[in-house]
Formats: sequence, C-alpha cells, structure tokens
Amino acid sequence: MIEVSQLTKAYPGVAALSDVSFSVPAGSVMALLGHNGAGKSTTIQILSTLVQPTSGRAVVAGYDVVHQPAQVRERIGVTGQDACLDLLLTGRENLVLFGRLRGLRRRAASRRADELIEQFDLGDAAGRPVQTYSGGMRRRIDIAAALVAPPRVLFLDEPTTGLDPCSRRQVWALVTELAAREVTVLLTTQYLEEADVLSDSIVILNSGRVVASGTAETLKQETGHSYCEVTVGHPDDVTRLAAMLADLDGVEAVPANNTVSVRAVDGVGTLAEVVRRTDRSEVAVTDISLRRPTLDDVFLHLAREPLAR
Amino acid sequence: MTAVAALTERLVRVALRDFDLLIGIATPVATLLGLNAALRHIIDTGTMSYADYVLPAIIVQAMLLGAVTTAERAAWEQSSGFTIRLRAQPVSELAPMTARMLYCLIRGALALAAAVATAHLLGFRLTGGITNTTGFVVLPLILTLALSLGADATGTWLRRSGAGQLLLIPQLILVLASTGLAPADSFPEWIQPFVRHQPVSQITGTLRGLATGNAAVSDLVITAAWCVGLLVALGSIAVRMQRRPR
Repeated sequence: MIEVSQLTKAYPGVAALSDVSFSVPAGSVMALLGHNGAGKSTTIQILSTLVQPTSGRAVVAGYDVVHQPAQVRERIGVTGQDACLDLLLTGRENLVLFGRLRGLRRRAASRRADELIEQFDLGDAAGRPVQTYSGGMRRRIDIAAALVAPPRVLFLDEPTTGLDPCSRRQVWALVTELAAREVTVLLTTQYLEEADVLSDSIVILNSGRVVASGTAETLKQETGHSYCEVTVGHPDDVTRLAAMLADLDGVEAVPANNTVSVRAVDGVGTLAEVVRRTDRSEVAVTDISLRRPTLDDVFLHLAREPLAR
Repeated sequence: MTAVAALTERLVRVALRDFDLLIGIATPVATLLGLNAALRHIIDTGTMSYADYVLPAIIVQAMLLGAVTTAERAAWEQSSGFTIRLRAQPVSELAPMTARMLYCLIRGALALAAAVATAHLLGFRLTGGITNTTGFVVLPLILTLALSLGADATGTWLRRSGAGQLLLIPQLILVLASTGLAPADSFPEWIQPFVRHQPVSQITGTLRGLATGNAAVSDLVITAAWCVGLLVALGSIAVRMQRRPR
C-alpha cells in the first residue's frame, strides 16, 4: 500500500532524508520511530504530497506521490503535529467543511460529521470552537477530520505527543480500531513503547537514514533487553562495582551518572543476582532498578553493533 | 466548486466571529458621518453637498481596506496548520485564494451598500439611471478585487501578519492626498500635480460622475483602464504565487 524506495530530501545545507526505503503492506500499521529531526515528518510530508522529494520514488495507494498527487490526495487522510483545523470554527463545522472539501454534498457532509462526533465521543464539545478544546480533544477531532472520507491510507504525525496518559490511551485505542478496519496506517512517534503497542512493523530513523527495520518482536530481540541499573553514592565505586559484575552480560559503567548497568537477560533473575552481589560488597548503593529499553538505548545499541536487517 | 463554496462559507463564518465583517461595514459609515460632520462647512465643494462629494472617497477607502485585510488573512493562512492540511486534500491549488477573493467581494459589496445607505440619509441620490448606477456599483468591486489580488500575493509571499499594516501606509497617503476628500485647489501648490493625477483622484472623480450621470467618456476609459490593468497585472502575480512549487 505504501512503497518507498531510495527516497532522499535535501534542504539547503541539510540532508533531511538519505536513501530511505521501506514498504507498508495493505491493512497494516507501521511506526516511524526516531528523535526530533530524524526525518519522520519529512517522510510523512513527502508521502502526503506536501513536499517534493529530491530523488527517489514513493507510491501510495498505487499512485506516485510526485506525478499523481491528485490521485494520492483522494485516498489519504493526514493529521499533522499541530492542530490542522480552523480554530475559530466549531468541531462540527470543521468536520462538515472537510467533508465538503472531499466532495460530499452539504447534507451528506453533515450526516458524516454527526457519525464521527458520536464515534469519537465529542458530542458535548461539537458546538464549541476548536480553540477551546483540550489537547486530547483536539487530537481526536483532528483524526476524525482525516477520516471524513474513509481513507485507504492514514498518516498520523506524532499523534500522541503532548497528550496526557489518558488521552494517549484513547488515541491508541483509535488506531487499533482503524487497523482492524483494514486502513493502512503510517504513524510517527518518539516512543518505542508506542511503536511496540500499535504497529505491525517499525522503521527506525536516525539523521535521515533507516538504521533498523522489522517487526516489533525482532527489533526487541535484537536491541531491546531490559537492563538492570545500579546507582552508587560515590564515583570511585563505579569501577569497583563494574569489576564485581564483570562476568555478567553487557556490563556498562557510566561514571558520569554514578551508574553501572547490566543487560537483564533473565529479567528479574538478573536483578536478584545483582542485588545479591552488591549486598555482599561494601559499595554504597542508592538505587537498583530494572528498566525497559528507551529509544536512546536502542540507538546506542545500533551504533555499537552493525545490525542484520 | 463545492470546495470554493465551502471555503468561502468558512471565511464568512470566521469573519462574523472575529468581527471583520462588522468592521468592514462600520468603518465607511463612521468615516462618512465623521468627515461630513467635521468638514461640510469648511471645504468648499461648490453646488454639491460635502456628503455627495466625499462618498466616492469613502467607498474607495473601504475597498482599499478590504484589500488590506485580504493581505492579513492570506499571510495568516500561509502559516496556519489548516492551510497545510488543505494542500493534502483533493482541492485545486487556487481554491483557497478564490475563496478569499469571493469573501473580499462580499465584504466590499456590504461596505458599499452601507456607505450608500448612510449617504442616502444625508441626502445623496443616485440620479444617473441604470447604466451609470451599475457602473457606480461594479467599479468599486473591480477595484477591491484587483487590489485584493495584489494584497493576497503580498501576504502569501510575506507569510506573516503585519503584511496588512505595511499596505495601510500607501493606501492612507493615496486617500488623503487625493481629490476624494477635497478639490485639488485646496491642496498646497507643490503637491497639486500628484493630487490631480493619482489613481484614487481619478477613480473618485469617475464615481462622482457616475452618481449623477455626468461622467465623461474619456474619464471612464482612463478609470476602466486603471482597474482592468490592475486586475490583470495583480491577478497574474497572485495566481503565480499560489502555483509556485513548495
């Protein structure tokens, strides 16, 4: 449903994307994972025909984004990072407006708006200007507007950035529901957890390049062990502690943070072993915790080891 | 077409909420009443009442102000998320600008009607017959459309608010230093050549002629050339601004 090959976008002085290739099968959810400036938004902008690539090719819903933008636009829905609605209009007026922009007659657009208001649980707010909405409500109405004419492909650019945990869960539930209805979804996120929960496959971007791709499962196996992190009270203890744990897997001392981390191959078992060893020593430990990998850990890991795709 | 209608409706709804339409109607009414009260015994306009004399200038100024708000709106829209999203919709790239132009015509027509209605209360009458009256209505609308196209290109190019304020200065000079507010003889001698020949003087003079049915053909031709020339020149720039690659 989305085919991207060797996509490159150069802005004066910056290569926003270099040689990016991936494909998203129909009806699946793919997450583009990366930091700010990794090229996620640029990718979405190119695929939604907003920006022209410098080179490379992208096909969305069977049409080339450069040569057949009109056909692509009829088949996609897009939400941006900021609210992309008219803030002075009410939620309902925005939905009707987008319906009419998709070629629906006034009455049909009005009916569709009512359906979406109910589906997205916006009944109470539908008559208020969008500028009075909370962040979570704005995101919901924003996604609703992208669904006015059911799209084949939906692009969600950081759909949960800046949302409180409850609103984030609501957006997650929405994406899952869409995927069940065979909509192909490409979303961007900075959170590994989010990519993990929502997507069938993940592409990790760093500085405009694809550094890893695969299913959440394979990426986790390759990069994603939880690890056990020990914080000590004194910088000198970092080397001592690291020496004591040296025979364990993936030991890493970070003197700057007063921490030593150990890859938790056995999960809680590893934690127990670390606790046993530090207990016997005279090292003053201030904290021991089991942590899930963050995006930073994945990047660090990828930078260390060449990755089999 | 549905898209243009929907986008125009949006602009009208927004203008009702941010009071732009109200301002568009109230400004010519207040200016006409104010100037008439202050200047009707001071400026000598011969046999013509001052309200009759100044009405065309009030109308031209309302049309110019309409263009200024178009610049502001175009600039604001360039940076709004709504417009960015609009570009990913199956909508013609000229649809948003067309909607802005339709809105400026609606605003212009309402301002014109308000100005004429107020002047009517002060004794003004359109006595030139149907052809002249049609000209009296159409000419300001062509003017506001032409200038709005130019303003739209400016706003689209500048992409930030303040685009409108920039255009306020030339419009203010053109209106104040014109024969629209006072006959050329009442200006200092050194500025009289400019006052006599600048476009606002030209157009207000023609409108005065159309109101009474005394417009000279040569005068009409010059004014029509101004308006149509501006329409074509500024229109082609505005269309090019909308079509430029991003």
